[in-house]
Amino acid sequence: MSYRVENNGYGQKLAGRIAVITGGSSGIGLATAKRFVEEGAHVVITGRREKELKAAAAFIERNVMTVVGDVSRLEDLDRLYAVVKEKHGHIDVLFANAGAGTIAPLAMATEAHFDQTFDVNVKGMFFTVQKALPFFKDGGSIILNSSVSNMLGLPGFSAYAASKAAVRNFARAWTLELKDRKIRVNSMSPGPIETPALETTTGLTAEQAEQAAAQFASQIPMGRRGKPEEVAAAVTFLASDESSFITGVDLAVDGGMAQV
Amino acid sequence: MGKLEGKVAVITGGATGIGRAAAKRFIEEGGLVFLFGRRQNELDAAIADLGPNARAVKGSVSNLADLDRLYAAVKAERGTLDIVLANAGAGSLLPLGKITAEHIDETFDTNVKGTIFTVQKALPLMGQGGSIILTGSSAGTTGAPGMSAYSASKAAVRNLARTWAEDLKGTGIRVNVLSPGATATELAKAALGEEGQKVYASMTPLQRMADPAEVGAVAAFLASEDSSFMTGSEIAVDGGLAQI
Repeated sequence: MSYRVENNGYGQKLAGRIAVITGGSSGIGLATAKRFVEEGAHVVITGRREKELKAAAAFIERNVMTVVGDVSRLEDLDRLYAVVKEKHGHIDVLFANAGAGTIAPLAMATEAHFDQTFDVNVKGMFFTVQKALPFFKDGGSIILNSSVSNMLGLPGFSAYAASKAAVRNFARAWTLELKDRKIRVNSMSPGPIETPALETTTGLTAEQAEQAAAQFASQIPMGRRGKPEEVAAAVTFLASDESSFITGVDLAVDGGMAQV
Repeated sequence: MGKLEGKVAVITGGATGIGRAAAKRFIEEGGLVFLFGRRQNELDAAIADLGPNARAVKGSVSNLADLDRLYAAVKAERGTLDIVLANAGAGSLLPLGKITAEHIDETFDTNVKGTIFTVQKALPLMGQGGSIILTGSSAGTTGAPGMSAYSASKAAVRNLARTWAEDLKGTGIRVNVLSPGATATELAKAALGEEGQKVYASMTPLQRMADPAEVGAVAAFLASEDSSFMTGSEIAVDGGLAQI
C-alpha cells in the first residue's frame, strides 16, 4: 500500500478489471498499461514486435500478459481475443490505441501509404472493437485513441488526420449502438506527446523530428509537449467509474493545442 | 491519500446541486473548500453536512464586492488558492418574441460577467499547478426551445476557456470547461417534474439523468494532476446527449 501512496496517491480505480490495450509496447499504450496495473487492473497488451512487447511487460512488472499481433490483420485479432477469453473470460476495458502515421504530402502520397494508414487506424480499430464485443462486460468502457489532428490541418499528414477524424466519429455511432449494454465509448485526442513515435515511425529525420517538436511546443498553449503518463492519467479516468456519465465525447489531452 | 491533499478550492454556487457534490468530493480527496452562495440557510446546511474542511461565504457572483469578500476570506485563512470551480449559474426560459432586457441581464450577469470576475479576482491568489474549472452546459452546443439567453451564455463560458488558456500561458494555471447535461439535482428534479425527468432521460444515450456525484467526480479529475496536460478544453458530462 505504501507504494501507491508514494506513487502520487493513485487509488484502485480499476481494481480487478480486465483491460486490453492495443499498441501497448511503447509510448501512450505502455504508460497507460502501467497506470492501469497501478490502479488494480490486469492488462493484456498487444503489439507487432515481440521483443518490445516483452520489454514492456517487464517494465509493467505484474498483472500483464502479451499477445503479438497486428490490428490490421483480423486473424491476429481473433488470436488476441481467444487468449483473453481463455485467460480472463471477459473484458471490462478496451483501449484501442494502435495507430500508424507517416508523412506523405498530398502530391507524393502513394496508395500503399493511404492503405496502411487506414488499415491500421480505421479498419484495425473497427475490428478491434467489433471482435471484443462478444466478451465485453455490459457497463464497460471503450476508449479510442484519436488525435488533435482529427480537427486540425496538418500538412503532410492528411491521411492520418482523416483517419483520426473517422475514429472520433466511431465513438459517436458506437455510443448509440452499445447504449443498451451500458458500454461507454469515448475517443481521446492527444496532442504532441513525448513518445518515441515521432522519431521512429513518422518518416521524419532526427533533425526534422526535433524541429517538429519545437514547433509543436510553440503551438501549444501549455508551451510544451505532453508526457505519456499524462495521457495515461486521462485514459484511466475514461476507463474508470469516475467518468460514469461520459460517453460519445472526444477528450482533448493536448495542452490546449486544438482548443483555442 | 486523496488527489487534492492540502489543496484549497473555491466553489461558487457551492451550497447545493453540482457545486455541493463537487465540494463533497474535493473534501474527500483532501481539499479545503470555500463555498460561495446567496442563501445563508443553504450554506449552513452544506457546512453542517460537509464537516470541518468546508467554509462558507455568503454572496452573489454578480456583485463584485461580494467576490472581494470571498477572496479576502481565502487569503486570510490560507494565503493561496489552487482550484476555482466557477459554477454559479442562472437560467430561466423565455422564447424569442418574449425575451426581456431584464431576462438577458440577469442571465448574463450571473453566467458570463459573474464567471469572468470570479476568475479574474481569484488570479492574485493562484499560481503554478492551479486549476480553473468553468461550469458550462450541454445547452452551450445545442438548441432548445426558450433557452436562447441561457444557451448563449453557456456558449460564451465555453469560449472564455479558449481565450484564458492563452491569457494564462506561462502561469502554470489550467482552465477547462465542465459541461453537464441533464443532472438530477434537487432543483432540476423539482423544475422538471416526473415527466420532464423521463423526457431528459430518454433523450440521453445513457438513458438516465446524471447523479450530481458523477459530475463532482469529473470536477475532481479536472482539479487534480490527472488532467495536467489539459487546458482550454471542454468535457461533456452529459451521458452522450450533445455528442452524437
